[in-house]
Parts: sequence; structure tokens; C-alpha cells
Amino acid sequence: MVSWPHWLVTIIIVPLVGAVLTPVVGRGRPKVIPIWALGIMTATSLAALMLIIRVAQEGPFSYLVGGWARPYGIELHFDEFSASVGIICLVGWLALLFSYHYVAETIPARRVPYFYTLVLLNLTGMIGFVVTGDLFNLFVFLEILSLSAYALVAVSGEHIAEMAAFKYLVMGAVSSIVVLLSIGLLYSVTGSLNMADIASRLAGVEQRLPVMLALAGLAMSFMVKAALFPLHIWLPDAHSIAPSPVSAILSGLVVKVGVFGLLRVYQIFYGAGTYDLTGLNTALVWLGAISIVMGAFFAIFQEDIKMMLAYSTISNIGYIVMGLGLASQYSLIGATVHIFNHALIKGTLFLAAGAIIHKTGYRTLTDLRGVGKAMPVTCMAVSIGAISIVGIPPTAGFLCKWYIALGAFQAGKPAFGIALIFGALFIFIYYIRMVNSFYFQKPTHPEILEVGEAPLSMLIPILVLATLCLVMGILGRIPISFIEPAVIRMLGPFGG
Amino acid sequence: MEVVDIRPILAPMLSLVCAGLIFLTGRQAFWRRMWSLLAAALKLGVVMSMLPGTLNGTIYVFKLTDFTPGIGLGFRVDALGMFFAIVSSTLWLLTTIYAIGYMEPEESKVRFFGFFALCVSTTVGIAFAENLLTLFLFYESLTIVTYPLVIHEETPAAFKAGKKYLVYTLIGGAFILLGTVLTYHTAGTLTLSKPGILTLANGTQTLTLLFVTLIAGFGVKAAIMPLHGWLPTAMAAPTPVSALLHAVAVVKAGAFGILRVIYNVFGVELLRQLNLTVWLAWLAAFTILTASFIALFQDNFKRRLAYSTVSQLSYIILGAALLTPMAAMAAIVHIANQAFAKITMFFVAGAIQRKTGKTSIREFAGIGYQMPYTMGAFTVAALSFVGVPLFAGFITKWYLSLGALEAGAWWFVVVMIASALLNAAYFLPIVYLAYFKAPPGTRFHVDEAPLTLLIPTVICALYVIVLGTTAEVPWMPLSLARTAVQFFFGT
Repeated sequence: MVSWPHWLVTIIIVPLVGAVLTPVVGRGRPKVIPIWALGIMTATSLAALMLIIRVAQEGPFSYLVGGWARPYGIELHFDEFSASVGIICLVGWLALLFSYHYVAETIPARRVPYFYTLVLLNLTGMIGFVVTGDLFNLFVFLEILSLSAYALVAVSGEHIAEMAAFKYLVMGAVSSIVVLLSIGLLYSVTGSLNMADIASRLAGVEQRLPVMLALAGLAMSFMVKAALFPLHIWLPDAHSIAPSPVSAILSGLVVKVGVFGLLRVYQIFYGAGTYDLTGLNTALVWLGAISIVMGAFFAIFQEDIKMMLAYSTISNIGYIVMGLGLASQYSLIGATVHIFNHALIKGTLFLAAGAIIHKTGYRTLTDLRGVGKAMPVTCMAVSIGAISIVGIPPTAGFLCKWYIALGAFQAGKPAFGIALIFGALFIFIYYIRMVNSFYFQKPTHPEILEVGEAPLSMLIPILVLATLCLVMGILGRIPISFIEPAVIRMLGPFGG
Repeated sequence: MEVVDIRPILAPMLSLVCAGLIFLTGRQAFWRRMWSLLAAALKLGVVMSMLPGTLNGTIYVFKLTDFTPGIGLGFRVDALGMFFAIVSSTLWLLTTIYAIGYMEPEESKVRFFGFFALCVSTTVGIAFAENLLTLFLFYESLTIVTYPLVIHEETPAAFKAGKKYLVYTLIGGAFILLGTVLTYHTAGTLTLSKPGILTLANGTQTLTLLFVTLIAGFGVKAAIMPLHGWLPTAMAAPTPVSALLHAVAVVKAGAFGILRVIYNVFGVELLRQLNLTVWLAWLAAFTILTASFIALFQDNFKRRLAYSTVSQLSYIILGAALLTPMAAMAAIVHIANQAFAKITMFFVAGAIQRKTGKTSIREFAGIGYQMPYTMGAFTVAALSFVGVPLFAGFITKWYLSLGALEAGAWWFVVVMIASALLNAAYFLPIVYLAYFKAPPGTRFHVDEAPLTLLIPTVICALYVIVLGTTAEVPWMPLSLARTAVQFFFGT
């Protein structure tokens, strides 16, 4: 079953078709829609599982859509980094389960089918983005996921939702255009759109200027998508105003697309072998460090819990980008593993925050005092997520801190390791405020003690993710030994 | 000889499971007490069952999983770890009994006893950690799980204390993480199973930096001046917590970490060549004297005890920094000597506070007429700190002075004597007040604290005498300390 070659195209087709059919299937039968969406994601997850097993067994492999060879045909390429489909499916599936009650109670009935369509489209876009071997398709999937994300931000209909979505749209659209322009530049000098092809042809390109422009364009626009400081301004509003399951997807997965794009760019240029990336690396390391500190700094002043979580995403993206920029073996392992782990952690936190807001109707720290007694399970998940994101061992968040700090020493830039370790302390400050307010302070609204736990459809996703935050920390060697060969292969002669 | 055995992980797991059971079923007082006492007794049993083996040179190891490739979440029971584990599990049992009585009128008891058990679980984890990363893992967890205990009262003062505690210890934790990363980068291993993993070939500058980083990190919890600020503030916590913080878990975790850094990460030989510990010894001596001076002027009983703790902890640091076998023995054995004497004093403070509501020393006049057993226990502990022979504290001072002479540093003997005088100056007036300054007309009228408070207090006080009189008896802590010292010094 694992060796069936068509899984790689199935994983894109199934959610895509499922998304388009959702309104049709759900017509007149609104109860079927969430089950349909979950069914689609289950099938997609099965495909993802097969692909991950295969890549673990035999290493990277490709699939030529329609049998057309490159450079003309469309190539799908699955390597260890593409195993991100696993986390996309997992968080996506759990977010859909979480939506079961949440959406029915918060979104007008006529919009519900489109909500599920948009979520499925968004997930399709991300899956496509990580498995494509072709730059133009990369752009197409980027647009699918971006457009659906803009709409999903607006879907809640709260009064600043349109403004947040519009801000996101403007920043996102500009960066998408730059991506397209850069791809065009690369095509003009190499005559190919296939990433592996481009990598092999770039070495022989005489005109360095267009290539460097393309590199700068891609790096810049992916930095916008990744919400790296100071290009982060779209993120806090968009992530905090979106419906909570969407926030989990946006913050856990969609921002990672930017990071993943950077990773692919690095793969191409490391593969070419003759380009000096020191400038880009330095920029990324510094921007990463600044993002860690600034994200934490802004988060300290937030009262709204989802706003805090949104700023914390900026810090975490800072970790990952710093890991990429340090470009040593350990730091890259730390960065790529944190792409997975941060999705788990932020998924836990946003879903738990969603459940809390949904049950109590409040969203600021002052209003939510004492909620820990009313919703003990959810708040325990928040605590686990908080400990995890601050990077206290043995949780999932610790691995990235350990590896990126080790990578900083390996790269001969210990100052950044120090910045990382001490930057994480800032993050602690606001999570402690959250825990204090939930557990240890007298309730501002005494009636908050009466609310019970959220329904099981919300509680299960939260608990699954919180458990994974712990398990993936203790079993950290599994993702690390999985990703290590890919990192070594990517660094090639540059490997430190 | 290394033997794979489940017991090294069973010990921390017992308290962990106990914490889980308390959180689940702790609303009923019966189950809460039952689980706490059962786990404490079982754990003490498990730890003690390994003692004969450890004394014979058997090392029990257990590797749970590879936490990251190459660095396992491993447990390993050597003599030093065993020493710390015995002290903390013995005191856990006594403190649990005490806490059951003391916390009776308090709120949120489920939370209290749950985190209390977690605290001890992580402490034994620190004691048995096989490598520096496992040690760090439990060390950071200890910080987190003590936070709810520190702010238990939920008053503004408690929150302030909690915040200060976290700021100090987490910054310290960051230094340790940094040091751990640097150690792994330099040595390629983090194991604590050898007498030193670094060599002079790693470069003097790197080694100096590493030493300072690690000592600064662990020094926060060990309350070396000027990193001691959190400790007197943390007095806002309920008394059993202060006892645990000051005598067993938190401060000793810091001191234990420093012993590990000096003996297992660097090794005595390397540190002698580097000549790095001289300033640490002076810093410790400075802390011993300065903290004692500050203690002289504290009127709040618990604050006076807190500064006394700061002072006493630096005995351990000084002993370790002198790098001689005798001094090392003093450092290790002082973990127990200080713990039992100090916990007696905190138990006394709590009992007096619960019984009479008195917290400042001024009000203690004549209290010996009312609570003679409690004050008797206090007197024993005070004499131990002063260093009177036959009490535990004398053993430390004796070996520490011998160790100082061995190192050719007679001036530290002077520090010892000065410290003994200072201890006498701030503890004995309390004894004097209690017995001889009773207001006119005070009758001898025994009205003691409840038995759950009194019994642990008296047991601890008796043990201080046992420690002081039976030092050379086999199976007593000193023999364990000697085994550890033989390993570190290779004699």
C-alpha cells in the first residue's frame, strides 16, 4: 500500500475536490457538512501517512503528473521536509473537529458551508505548497492558501474583521506579486521552473544580477508571509480576530509557509553551490533575533489572550528564521523541527483560548480571572502549552531552543545562542501573567466560576495537542533523526 | 560496577504518580493524606533499599529514552546523588506529616499537596540525573512546580515574592542552559558519571567562561551573594513551603548543582590547574559573614532564618571550592547537617505562628514556658549551627577547617570561627528570650502545638544530635560522603 505511486497526487486532489463539493453536499443537509469535511481530511491524512512512511523508508521521491517529464511536466516532489503534510493534516483535522460545535454557534448558518470550503482549500494550498517540485506551482498553491486565508479572517464578521483581513490582503498580495516576479526572473535566466532543474542550472548562469534580485525578492516576500519583524504588522489583528480554529491553522501552519518558502529557496541556492548566501544569512539571523525580542515585548502589553498568542507567534517565527540563518547543521535541525512543534504548541494554545472565549464570552486577562477553576482541563492544556512554548524541558518547545543554541555555537556565533536563551525569558513574562490570572487571582466576574468545560468536540482536539506537546518533547529524537539526513543533504558541502 | 535497575526512576515516579492521584482524588482529605504519606514512605523505602549497594560501590543506572539523539533522559545513582536523595526523601516524609497539620485551616489544599509532591519528584530527579541535560530538565521543572507553592496565599505580597522568585531562578536557569549548551559543544558529552569531562585542551578562556556561567546559574538557587535576593522575599510562602525551599529542595538543588559542576563537569584536577575556585571560595566566605551580619538585625523570625540559610549554604560552596578531600566531605555532609537543623527551625517557626500567632522575635519572651518541647528542639538546632560538638554542625565545621588547613588557607578557619560567633549572636538570644526573659508572672503551663506539628519537629531535632554523635558509624551519611569523595579525588 505504501508503494502505491499515486498517493502524492491523491493528497492534493482529495481535499481540493472535497472543498469544492462541500456546498453541494451540504445543500439542505447542514449537519452533514462537518462530517463530510472530517471525512475528507481523514482520507487526506491517510495519504499523508503513506507518504511519510515511504519517505522514511526510501528517501525522497518524485511523481510526474500525467507522466510528463520535467522540465515541461508538473513534478511533485516529496522529501523529508514535505513530511510537514503530517502536521498540516493533524492540526487541520483537529481544527475541523473543534469547529463542529464552534462554527455552528458563532457563524451564520448560510456561511457555514463556505467556511468548511475555505478551510479545506486552505489546507489543500498548504499541502500543495510543501509537496510541489515546481516553482510556478509553488506560486499557485501559495495563492490558493493566501486567498482562502484572507477570507477566513473576515468570516467571523466582527467589526474589525474586515479591516484585519484587508490589511492581511494588501501585505499578502504585494508579496505574492513579488514571488511571481522573482520566479519569472529565475525562469528568464535558467529556462526552467522545476526547482531541482533550476538548482543545477543556476551554477552556470553568467548574469548574477537577475538571480540576486530574484533571491532578494523571494526572501523578502516569504519574510512577509512569515510575519518577520518589521513585516509582521498584518499578523496580530488577523490571527486574533479570526475564528479560533482558524487562528490555530493560521498561526500554527499558514505563517510557516513563509518559513517553508525560505527553506525551499535555500535548498535551491545551496544546491546550486556557487552562491554566497552570507548576506541573506546575516539578515535572517538578525531579523530572527529582533523578532524574538520584539514579539515578546509587544505581547507583554496585551490584555487580549488571543492577541498575546498572536505576538508570541512572531517570537517563535524568530526562532525558526534565526535557525535558518545560522545555517549550521544543528540550527537547521532545530529550526525545521520547530516548524512541527510550534504548530502543535500554538494549536493547543489557540484552540484552548477559543474554548475559553467561547464558554465565558470574555477574552481579556482581567475578565478571565479564575477561569482555571471553572475549566480545569482546558486551562491545564494552556499551562502545558505555555511551558512548552517557553521551552522548559522536557516539552516540545525545548528541542528547538537546545538545537538552535547549539547551532549558534557550531556556527561560531554564540551571541545569538545567548540572545535566544535570554529572549525566551521575555516570553515567560506574559505566559506567567496568563497562568496567574487563570489560576491564582480572584475572579473579576464571579459568574465565571459557573461555566463548565467545553463540549467534547472542542476538548478532544485540545487534549490531543497538549499531550503531543509533552510526548514530542520526550521523544524528541524521532523527528530529529527523521529530519537529520535531509538537513545534511541540503547543507551539502557547506555542512558544518 | 554499574547495574541496570528500575529503582532510580521509580523514586521520582512515585511522587509524580502521587501528585496525579492527589489532583484527581484530593478533594477528600482522607485520600489526599493517604496518597501523600503512602508515596513519601514508599519512596523513602525505595531510596533506602539502594543504600547498601551504593556503599559497596554499585551504581544503579536506568536510561529512560534518548531525549535527543545521543543525550538520554538517564538516571544514575552515585554516592553524591544518593546522599541528596536520602536527605530529601526523609525530609519529605517529615514535612508531609507537618504540612497535614499546618495546612488544616488553609485554602486550595489539593493544589498545595499536589505541587508539593511534584516538588519532591523533581528533587530526586535532580539527585539521580545521569547527565547535565537531565539535571537541567528537573532543575527547571523544580522552578515551575514551586511557583504555585510560593504564591499559595494569593496575597499581593505572595505574588511579589513569586515574581521575584521566578525572575531570579529563571535567569539562573538560562545561564545553566547556556552553560550546558557550551559544555556539550566543548566536550561532546554531558555525562555526570566521570570525575570531570573537560580537559585543559579545551582552552583556558572557554573553560573560565563556562565555569562562571554554570556557577552563576546554579548560584542563584544556592543563594550566593549577590544572587540571594529572592530567598528572604520568598518567606511569604506558608511555613512548610519555606522549610522545603530553604532546607531541602530548591536551595540544595542549587548547591548540589555546584557540587556536580565542580566534581563531575570540571573535576578537581582541572580546577586546580585553572585556579578558578579561589574567587568562589572568597565569595562564599563573604556570603557566610555578610548574611550572618544581616541576620543579626532581622526581627522577623522567618527572615532571620532566611539570612541564616544564605549564610549556611555558602559553607557547602566554600567546602567545594577548597578542592581538598576533607573540605569536600564537609561540603557534602553539610547538605544533611544544614537541612535537618534548618528544617527544625522552620518547623518551630511554623508551630509558634500557628499556636500563638507570633512572628517577630521580640514577642517570643517566655515562650519556653508555654512550648517547652518546641523551644527545646530550637535550642538543639541553634547549638548545631553554632557548631557545638556533639551536634551535627560541628562535623561540618571540623572537616571544613581541616580542609582549609589542608589547602593551606588558614584564613578560612578564621571565617569559620567568626561565623560560629555570629551564629551564636543571632540564635542564642532567641533561646535566652524564650526561657529567661519571661514577663513577670509567667507560669510554667504547657500548651504545645498539635502533635502533627510537634512530632516532626522533635524527630528532626533528635536527628541533628544523631548526626553529630554517630558520624563514624557505618551507614551514616558521613560514610556515604566519604564514598563520594573517594570517587571525586580518586583515592
